[in-house]
Order: sequence, then structure tokens, then C-alpha cells
Amino acid sequence: MKESLYEVLARSALVSLSATAIASLIGVSLGTALALTRVGGRRILIAAVNTGMAVPTVVAGLAVALLLWRTGPLGDLGLIYTVQGMIIAQALIATPLITAITMAALRMLPPDLPEQLRLLGANRVQLVLRMWLEARLSLLAAAMAGFGTAISEVGAATIVGGNIHGHTQVMTTAIVESVARGDFEVAIFYGVVLLGLAFVINGLLASVQRRGAAWARS
Amino acid sequence: MGAELSVRDLRHVRAGREVLRVDELDVARGARLCVLGPNGAGKTTLLRLLAGVESPQRGRVTVDGLRTVDGGVDLRRRLGYATQRPALLSTTVRRNVELPLRWRKVPRGRRAELALAALERLRVAHLAERPATELSGGEQQRVSLARAIATDPAVLLLDEPAASLDAQSRSAFLADLDQALADRATTVVHVSHRPEEAMRLADRVVALVDGQVHQIGSPELLTRCPIDASVAALVGYDNLVEAFVEADGAVVVDRAPTGLRCDGPAGPATVAVFAGGVRLVGDDEPGVPMRVAQVAPGPGHWTVLLDGAVSLLARVRLDGRPPQAGERTRVSFDPALSTVLTKD
Repeated sequence: MKESLYEVLARSALVSLSATAIASLIGVSLGTALALTRVGGRRILIAAVNTGMAVPTVVAGLAVALLLWRTGPLGDLGLIYTVQGMIIAQALIATPLITAITMAALRMLPPDLPEQLRLLGANRVQLVLRMWLEARLSLLAAAMAGFGTAISEVGAATIVGGNIHGHTQVMTTAIVESVARGDFEVAIFYGVVLLGLAFVINGLLASVQRRGAAWARS
Repeated sequence: MGAELSVRDLRHVRAGREVLRVDELDVARGARLCVLGPNGAGKTTLLRLLAGVESPQRGRVTVDGLRTVDGGVDLRRRLGYATQRPALLSTTVRRNVELPLRWRKVPRGRRAELALAALERLRVAHLAERPATELSGGEQQRVSLARAIATDPAVLLLDEPAASLDAQSRSAFLADLDQALADRATTVVHVSHRPEEAMRLADRVVALVDGQVHQIGSPELLTRCPIDASVAALVGYDNLVEAFVEADGAVVVDRAPTGLRCDGPAGPATVAVFAGGVRLVGDDEPGVPMRVAQVAPGPGHWTVLLDGAVSLLARVRLDGRPPQAGERTRVSFDPALSTVLTKD
């Protein structure tokens, strides 16, 4: 049981952290583009992001499963019932949230900050990096929220991963399975461990956030 | 080394309205120009066009012959810009000042030296390790200015940098700014709605009203010979009075003598008078009959509001008996503190 727990725990952390990393990359970039530029179709994109936050995880999982299904458009990649497939599904779920928080965080900075940075001599890359630094605490909060969404979701993990023992089972799907078996003791144990994992990872991110705030004051 | 600025046939339209029209404006290398205008005159727009962050619908704005809109990062790195609401970054004062130097690839050791020197010029070196966002408004303005001059820009653009300061802080700030620029060849363009800033910092002043240049000249020229009433109001004349120039050159208000004479043509005119140039004379002496409406003590003088054919603001020395509200008096204008603007 212990071996199995460690394996499931490690897989949960791997899937959710990888999904958070991918979602952060896409979400922070997209949120920045939406906050700092006036590209065509911006309003439609913002509406899509806002809608994306409200999509139930099972629906997101279903969409990814249909794409990755053996007869689906991306079936040849062989990602259905794999950890990689689960990472894609969770990244899809976390991306709108991270995008929306990034956009809000950058818009809360002084509106003339980008222009002032340009006038100080920043090129585009330097400007964006500086804006991210100014919004660093909110961006970390976005990553934390993304991770929280990824690690706690069960619908997409079940549909895309299939809850296969020793292969794609993660903490949330293990809890659902234990409850279905009537094995509440194991379900509660998994639940407590999952909470602990979430606590540790969010604690680490919060510590980085505090260091960021202290660095700003120093 | 400063740069030469040039504006030709500039027309700038915003939301269908022409907000700026400048036919010709040149700023010589190392010169200090103040664009003086009321709120909404187009001062900040002109500054933004000079900085190349906005492009005009028509005309050319150049720095050393290069169009500012084509200049990109390279041009912006030759500029220093300080605004009335500085956006200091959430790090220390020193890092704020070092940042533009880092973007210009100045080596780390040299960056620290230049940042500290700029902070010293603005008398805020003691704040170097403090978080910039926790400073007072006046300190933030000084840091913003230090950040703008640390790179030794060819052109320094200042957008009402003292606007948010109280009178006392503003005076000290302007003195330090003047000192900080004293031994530099930087070309400075400074916009303001306060005549005292223009007089103190500029060697040439542009009077901008409703997006149009009304007059360009030395601070003294604009003060002594404003071209029209709007420029007179801009340079600080407290009273603008409808008057008449008679055939013999006497200037009268409501047919009463003002003590002023004018060589210009006879006809309607406007008299611009500083409050200190309104003299209260005895009721039996020649002057414009008025009634004292209000008297209030000011720093070193009485501020007197007068009613009659026109309304006037006067400043009367504190010594002697203050005028009493309701009292009848006559006023004449001190020629040294007045100017007559004829209609032609």
C-alpha cells in the first residue's frame, strides 16, 4: 500500500505541477498580450477566457479525450490514458484561470507604466519582463490558483487518464475509486495526504511570494 | 551633449478635434524651453510627440534631424522623461535609478556611481536603499527626476514635475532642479501651467493656448509684452480689464483715467495689471472709482477685492491702515506692473 501511495502521490504532483507549468507559460503570455496590446479579436479572446474558467472539468476532460481518442484527430499521438494526456487536460483547465488573473494583475498596475518604461529606454522584452516583476506577487498567486485547480480536479483525470492502477491513477481518482468500493478509511487517508501535498506546494509558492515582497522592500 | 529639436507644420487631431497646431518651433542644442499653457492646452501632447510615443497626423517632429516616430528605442534612450505622476517601480530607490542605465548596458559599478551622483544632485542620496513606493510625493518626484538625468540624456522632457507639490516644496524642488541642470548641456523642454516655473527654469517660453502657439520669446518678453490677453493671463497678470485708448494716448477705464498711456492706435484695448500694480489712491485723486468689496490678510500684504465698472484684485502693503470693506476709493495702475494690449 505504501509503495502504491508514494507512486500515486508522485504522479499527482508530477501531473499537476507539469500542467501548472504549461498553463502558466501559456496563461501568463496570453494574459500579458491581452492586457498590454490592442490586437484584433481581443474582446472575443477575453470572453473565451472568462467562459473557459466556468467550464466544468469533466467537459474539458471530454473535449481532450475526444481529441486524443484513438480515432480522434490527435489519436495517432497515443496520448489517451497516459500521464501526458492528463497533463494536457489539466493544463487546459488551469490556463483560463491563470490568463484571467495575469490580465487583471497587469491592468491593476499604473496605466501609464508601460509608456513610462518605454520612455526610460526599455525595449519590448525589457518592458514585459519589468511588468511581470511589478506584478510578480499576483502572478505567483495565479500559478497557485492554477495548481489548486489542477490538483483538485477529478473529472478530466478520470476521463483522459482512465484511473489505471500503476499507470494513470492520481490522488483524486484514487479517492473516488475508494469511495466507490466503500473503502472510506483509504479514501480519507488519501484525502488527508492530498491536502498535505497541496499545503506543502502552496506553502512553497507562498514562501517565494513572501521573498518577492521582501525583495521589493529591500 | 544636447540635441536640436524641430517641429514643422504639426497638426494633431484626437477624436475628430484638432488638439495641437504648431507651424514652426525650434529648440537649440542645450537650450531650456518652457511650454506654458493652461490645462488642456496640448502641452503634454506636444511633449509626447517630441518623445515619439505619439505620432502626429501631419507634420514633422525631429531630434537632431531624425523623426521621433522613426527613432524607436535608440532615440528614446537619448531622452530623459519625468512626469507629474512618476511611476516608480516596487524596488529600492537606487535600483529605480539604475534601471535605465542597465537597459543602456552601463557596467554595474558605473551604474551605481551614476545613480548615486544623480540622487545626490536632487538631494535624495540618503534615500537610496529605501523602497521607492514608500516615499512621500515630493521625494518620489526627486527620485523620478534623478532617474531621468542619471543617463545624461541629450534631451530632458519634463511634464509638470512639480505639479503635485505644495508651494514650499515646489520652490525648493525647482531650485534643486535648476542646480542639477546648471552644468549640463542637456536640451530641456519643460511644460507647465505655472508662470513662476517657466520664469525660473527656461531661457525661452512658448505660450500655448487651445493647442495653438500664441507667443514665443524670453520669459521677460512674455511678461513685459504679452501679445494678447490669454498670454497675459498665462504669465500671471492678475487683472485683465477692458479699457479704451484715447486719441491723446491716455488709457481710460469707464472714461476714468488709469494713469497709463499707450502709443498704439486709439480704440478699445485690454489692460493687464499685476495685483501689486493696482494702487489705491484718495477719493479726490484721478483714478477709476471703485468700492472695496473684501479685504483679507496675505503673506506680507493685504489682498483687496475691488468692485466698480470692473472687478480688480489689488495687493496693498501691510503698513498703515488697511482698506475697509464698503469704503469708496479710486485706483490707478502702476505702468511698471501693467501693460496695454491694443486690439489691432
